[in-house]
Amino acid sequence: MMRGPSIIICLGVATWIATRQKAAGLIAPLPEALKWLTAYVTLWMKYPIITEMAEQPYTVASDSETSHDDKQSSFPDLALGIDIGTSKCSVAIWNGSHVELLRNTRNQKLMRSYVLFRDEIPTGGVSEELPHDDQEIFSGSAVFNMKRLIGRVDTDPVVHASKSLPFLVQTLDIGVRPFIAALVNNVWRSTSPEEVLAIFLVELKAMAEVQLKRPVRNVVLTIPVAFSRFQQTRIERACAMAGLQILRLMPEPTAVALLYAQQQQKGIQENMGSGCEKVAVIFNMGAGYCDVAVTATAGGVSQIKALLGCTVGGEDMLQNVMRRLVPDFGSLCSNHSMEAIKSLGLLRTVTQDAIHKLSTQSSVSINVDMSMGPKICCSLDQALFEAANKDVFQTCENLVRQCLFDAKVGAEDIDDVILVGGCTRIPKIRSLVLGLCKKESTCEGINPLEAAVCGAALEGAVASGISDPSGSLDLLTILVTPLSLGIRADGDKFIPIINRNTAVPSRKDMLFTTSHDNQTEALIVVYEGEGKTTEENHFLGYFKITGIPPGPKGSAEISICMDIDASNVLRVLAGAIFPSTQLPASPFIEVRMPTLDDGHGLCAQALTKMYGSSLGLCTVERKIPQ
Amino acid sequence: MAAPPLSSSSSAASDLMRDRAFRRSFSLPSARFSATCAASPAGGHCHYYAYPRSSDGAAAVGTLYDVLGLAAGATAREIKQAYRRLARACHPDAAGGGREGASADEFMRVHAAYATLSDPNKRAEYDRRMVTSAAARRPPPFHYRPSSSSASYYSPPAAPSSSSPSPRFPGRTWETDQCW
Repeated sequence: MMRGPSIIICLGVATWIATRQKAAGLIAPLPEALKWLTAYVTLWMKYPIITEMAEQPYTVASDSETSHDDKQSSFPDLALGIDIGTSKCSVAIWNGSHVELLRNTRNQKLMRSYVLFRDEIPTGGVSEELPHDDQEIFSGSAVFNMKRLIGRVDTDPVVHASKSLPFLVQTLDIGVRPFIAALVNNVWRSTSPEEVLAIFLVELKAMAEVQLKRPVRNVVLTIPVAFSRFQQTRIERACAMAGLQILRLMPEPTAVALLYAQQQQKGIQENMGSGCEKVAVIFNMGAGYCDVAVTATAGGVSQIKALLGCTVGGEDMLQNVMRRLVPDFGSLCSNHSMEAIKSLGLLRTVTQDAIHKLSTQSSVSINVDMSMGPKICCSLDQALFEAANKDVFQTCENLVRQCLFDAKVGAEDIDDVILVGGCTRIPKIRSLVLGLCKKESTCEGINPLEAAVCGAALEGAVASGISDPSGSLDLLTILVTPLSLGIRADGDKFIPIINRNTAVPSRKDMLFTTSHDNQTEALIVVYEGEGKTTEENHFLGYFKITGIPPGPKGSAEISICMDIDASNVLRVLAGAIFPSTQLPASPFIEVRMPTLDDGHGLCAQALTKMYGSSLGLCTVERKIPQ
Repeated sequence: MAAPPLSSSSSAASDLMRDRAFRRSFSLPSARFSATCAASPAGGHCHYYAYPRSSDGAAAVGTLYDVLGLAAGATAREIKQAYRRLARACHPDAAGGGREGASADEFMRVHAAYATLSDPNKRAEYDRRMVTSAAARRPPPFHYRPSSSSASYYSPPAAPSSSSPSPRFPGRTWETDQCW
């Protein structure tokens, strides 16, 4: 039973020694210390049960000699805020008066998200003295962009787009999870996005524990708006593997909205009671996702009016540009020889660098001599970049327009425009969003790269029940559902029961009826998304209700109720009722969604193959109230 | 939390009628809620977010205005303020745990009221319906004067509406009808 705490002690000691060494000016890390650290990580991976024991407070490592670090928190259970970005991660915590971002041993606040598989021991490089360079990360040994891959099936276009990454992404296109592998000693070794994320989270957790000198368990994580509920369960899984408990999963723009609400509150303390409501548009675009939110803030309460997200990000732009530079990009990607991987890695580094520079320069020259493929020598300017990414910009524009429409907000109602995420440095993106909102400049005082994690840390403090005497934690975000939730009915149609942008917690119900005569059973197939047909949407789960009173089709009444509770858990409750008495014909069935263990597109196909429409449902015409 | 039995709403015949009118308008047959309650194992989330419940004592929580603690003539701004104030008090995130189950319901009720009243079209329709259902009650079984009975029934108990027996509702609805 003592293994958990003792490991933590070892870790504490090891890392402490490592820090001390760094402080003393020694460059080489103590091998023992690192060995312990990695052993800790691997152990954690192998024995997730340890995480159960690790909760126990430990004292040895922190009590002995703690002179140089005074970040000891006075709130024992205060939740960390973590922003796992597609490309960069950050961790922040409420320190009693403001949010503070934690730094790694290289003094970085933003840490690159990847896990390098090398010689048995995977490492995310969070606390290593020397960073891994691009060449190493793009060598096929590292897995990154896990936020784009997590919880997706191999028919997903995002997974297909990820095939140009240096590590192996293999698809069979049958609706199962893709095969993902990293190159270790010239062998492709399989892993999964959840596992990679867990390894990375373990390192973040260890880093935070060393700095805060206490075990960390509770976290608030930010996620993209476009994440399905199934993907959320994958994130929860990864956190569980890393021994972290999620207090909240916040869509990124809502975390920013919380930060904005706090800033407003600080600015005008006397405005409690919504004297002046401020409407802000939050546009967040990182490497993997693009989100838009409209929030109305007053008196520390920020009410999300509309949320919208999609899977377009910097990674797409990078790939578009690479495609422009190399004519036979596709064949280079499908060829997984060492040579091709190396060439692609080089191309990726150079292109990424050029795109970054293009945010401040009008044109950048690209010179790269790849061992495979052509020698590239050209110049990339704004016009070329914008032409290559026309579709991306169009998607962003549509997203903003739709979100403003959903929120019933016109450009004249907007008080502030907040741009967050690395991609909002791109001049075209800035001008596009500002243009749509008819604003000259963006909101001041919000750091585009740190806003989401700061919001998460604030939420962590609020959710941990910390109250601040100055009232700067007196905050509330009223969230909405980012995607519609509904079931399959009327053949293969998706019928939403809880619509997008409904405030949560929420409960909605709807009446359905049978599609065949004397049908006594019905299949309730639950989906999430905005598509008109079911296959455009995310499949969440299914169950069968029985005991429908026999009768001609359309005569039975089947009530389906969807409930999102205070902790954002979705339950579906269904059963047949007698139309005359409105009483249940047989006990109802309540199912917590998603029920799927894996994002099986296969499963939906199997259901259709087996049952066709024999257990289908039909919508009931709403009786128009007089 | 125990679900209020359906039969509790059966009092006067006119009460039933009114109840039905409301139910139609929100398409929330309360029987379905008792059905959901019967099926829910914990009984934790059985409740109705349909507030226009009309048992005699509950006349106080009769209208959407009452849910927000406002007078029927409240401005849009007042509605927003009341919503925020109540959200702070009863949103599960703000309540900080403890009474989570109840909070979620309370918040849903407040939010439903806000959702209707903050939308000018829905509000106008709701106001109109309130008057119609009041008109259905018009032949009163009681000794009240018709006008004052309808007014006192629907205006919040906090506001001393009996002091202003003028039939506010028909007039106001007329206004909203014209506007929207």
